[in-house]
Amino acid sequence: MVTNNPPGALEGLRVIDQTQVMAGPFCSMLLGDLGAEVIKVEPPEGEYTRQERAIAPGVSASFLALNRNKKSLALDLKTPEGVARLKKLAATADVLVENYRPGVAKRLGVDFEALRQINPRLIYCSISGFGQTGPYASRGGFDLIAQGMSGIMSATGSEGGPPVKVGVPITDLGAGLFAVFGILCALRARKKTGRGQFVDTSLFEAGLALSAWEATEYWYTGQIPKRLGTAHRLNAPYQAFKASDGYFTVGASNTKLWGLFAEMLGLKQLISDPRFADTGKRLENRAELEQLIEQVTAKQTRAHWLERCEKAGIPAGPIYSVAEALADPQAQARNMTWEYDYPGVGRAKSLGNPVKLSRTPARLYRIPPRLGEDNGKIE
Amino acid sequence: MKPLEGIRVIDLTQAMAAPFCTMNLADMGADVIKIEPPGEGEQTRQLGAANKNGHSATFMTMNRGKRGLAVDLKQPEGVEIVRKLAATADVFVQNYRPGVVDRLGLDYQSLHKVNPRLVYCQISGFGNTGPYASRGGYDLIAQGMSGVISVTGDEDGPPAKSGVPLADLSAGLFAAYGVLAALEHRDRTGEGQLVDTSLLEAAMALTVWESAEYWTTGKAPRPVGSAHRNSAPYQALRASDGYFNVGAANDKLFAAFCAAIERKDLLSDPRFSSRSSRLQHRKVLQDEIESVTKKETRAAWLARLEKAGVPAGPINNYAEALADPHALARDMVVDLVHPGAGDIKALGVPVKLSETPGAVERAAPLLGEHTAEILKELCYSESQLKALVSRGVVQ
Repeated sequence: MVTNNPPGALEGLRVIDQTQVMAGPFCSMLLGDLGAEVIKVEPPEGEYTRQERAIAPGVSASFLALNRNKKSLALDLKTPEGVARLKKLAATADVLVENYRPGVAKRLGVDFEALRQINPRLIYCSISGFGQTGPYASRGGFDLIAQGMSGIMSATGSEGGPPVKVGVPITDLGAGLFAVFGILCALRARKKTGRGQFVDTSLFEAGLALSAWEATEYWYTGQIPKRLGTAHRLNAPYQAFKASDGYFTVGASNTKLWGLFAEMLGLKQLISDPRFADTGKRLENRAELEQLIEQVTAKQTRAHWLERCEKAGIPAGPIYSVAEALADPQAQARNMTWEYDYPGVGRAKSLGNPVKLSRTPARLYRIPPRLGEDNGKIE
Repeated sequence: MKPLEGIRVIDLTQAMAAPFCTMNLADMGADVIKIEPPGEGEQTRQLGAANKNGHSATFMTMNRGKRGLAVDLKQPEGVEIVRKLAATADVFVQNYRPGVVDRLGLDYQSLHKVNPRLVYCQISGFGNTGPYASRGGYDLIAQGMSGVISVTGDEDGPPAKSGVPLADLSAGLFAAYGVLAALEHRDRTGEGQLVDTSLLEAAMALTVWESAEYWTTGKAPRPVGSAHRNSAPYQALRASDGYFNVGAANDKLFAAFCAAIERKDLLSDPRFSSRSSRLQHRKVLQDEIESVTKKETRAAWLARLEKAGVPAGPINNYAEALADPHALARDMVVDLVHPGAGDIKALGVPVKLSETPGAVERAAPLLGEHTAEILKELCYSESQLKALVSRGVVQ
């Protein structure tokens, strides 16, 4: 435990975390990072991901990744005693987050209606595959399903290839982010109304909400957004280009940057070429443009081009592996890796918090809990 | 009542990440004042292919629900207006390259003096500190440098990014989270603060599974197409008329899936008997499954899997996704009237609050649409307003 630090922005907030796997745990972790007291309620055998490819008894890499800054309370909600304990806890809490399939919380007797009787100030957040209402409410939903149904997969990958999804589970994480946002909004409303409320979001809706550009393209042009590899829907050149030793990215998407980029490549003649005269033309003739650019870029290394782009003030960057990304000096300077010792594991690492608050910074208050570590310690 | 009613946000932003942050705040009832240069307005007002009646679709998408103030920040009187506004505000959001606001005197330190309660949020490519602080950054660059591109796409194909600009959008969401948390602190202590995030950090924060895999195995994860890193079958599968998705990631769902495709024999195959062995033999498993699924249509399989309770779904294009009955039932498509473009559509609010729901009610402002209204709120007289207009300070 770290002491002698300023309080967190969410200090004093008590959160019951009845979540598993990813979207829910990500949401409650973000609250814990800013000082909320997050109590993870787990079944007697522990949350599902503890055992998934365990690296030490009762703990896996994925569990460690999403459960820092939380306490653990092991409770059997299938017994009346377990439910009674949870209700007692709910009476003291500000927020409850759960990501069961719709219906499960009700069956257990710990749904919003039941708990608001005990604590009208409670903000109860449910994260599910499709939300609590509508024709698919009762379906189970995973990130893959939501990426497919929201349209994201139809816009990801290369034209002609087999379907691909976004490599990171974007609808899980997006739902976790929208849930945090909804909870913090509900906290503000509570200051005025004195009452809690039900906050309901889903992977499917998060996927749609992240499709703002693609929905815009479809509604305004009538064209169905296509898969573009690394390219941009509305701009060119803005994509990965081939160097002699791999790919690098360049975003030379406005007139000024395009001019600088063409000049840097020794392709000044393209600036006045009618095929590439404006953004619309460059977009229309993107394949040709790519070919002409790669004829030049393929002759030198990534490092060469990145250095030239930096000097010329053209936004560009490497395509890092996750290993390289974590080792990059900027990622280090921005404290994107948190380290701690974990019993039975040794040195453990997790991602830092991406938002830097100057007075009340996010920090590691405590390492991920052992199962039931706080049974008997929570009033 | 909406949850953020009474919160005033000054929005000195452009393009996507930061406008998306303030758009979400506006959806929840905040009074968001979008500041733009007179004449051409924010850069995304420039017309591309996506527009209606001469109004840029990209601008309209990211700026719904905001009020519009056109003011020239190259003139000291213009800057003075923004400083006065900041004195009345709860939140200030900007996404200029580091340095630009310092020159204008609209940086955190300067505005903190004007209003110590102000929560000041900046969103940039790489963050306000560190060796790349001064570099410009786009979603593509952040996707590349965070490792997201390295884990997206076909196993052996060319690089692919997330089709949706996830670094931009998640930076906007992380910023909204930081801003609302900072408001909690302010309510308790009276202190505002600086909230600083970036596209790079936002994209990195999404590599939760991938970084965990790297730290555990020492190997950097690779793209896996539509598949899952840790379980199988969880991927797109071939039907007679295209692909559909199945997530049968645990033993129970795998058993239900095998029954639904009438391949119960797979359950007793030692290659597929456990989660880890299925993952290890994912390609063979896919071949076995597709030898059956390719014989019937997507619709036939989806109906059958729904009955069996196995999570599955179509791979919708955007025409299909935006017309999906569930998307409509969840109010994810909203009709708006824009003062110039007329009837337009917008995406709805993805998080539903039961008592004080957010809503998308007002289209994006015309350039300077609320300039007079806002200046009056700041107690500028009619004659002062006229003088400012005639000098080109406001529009």
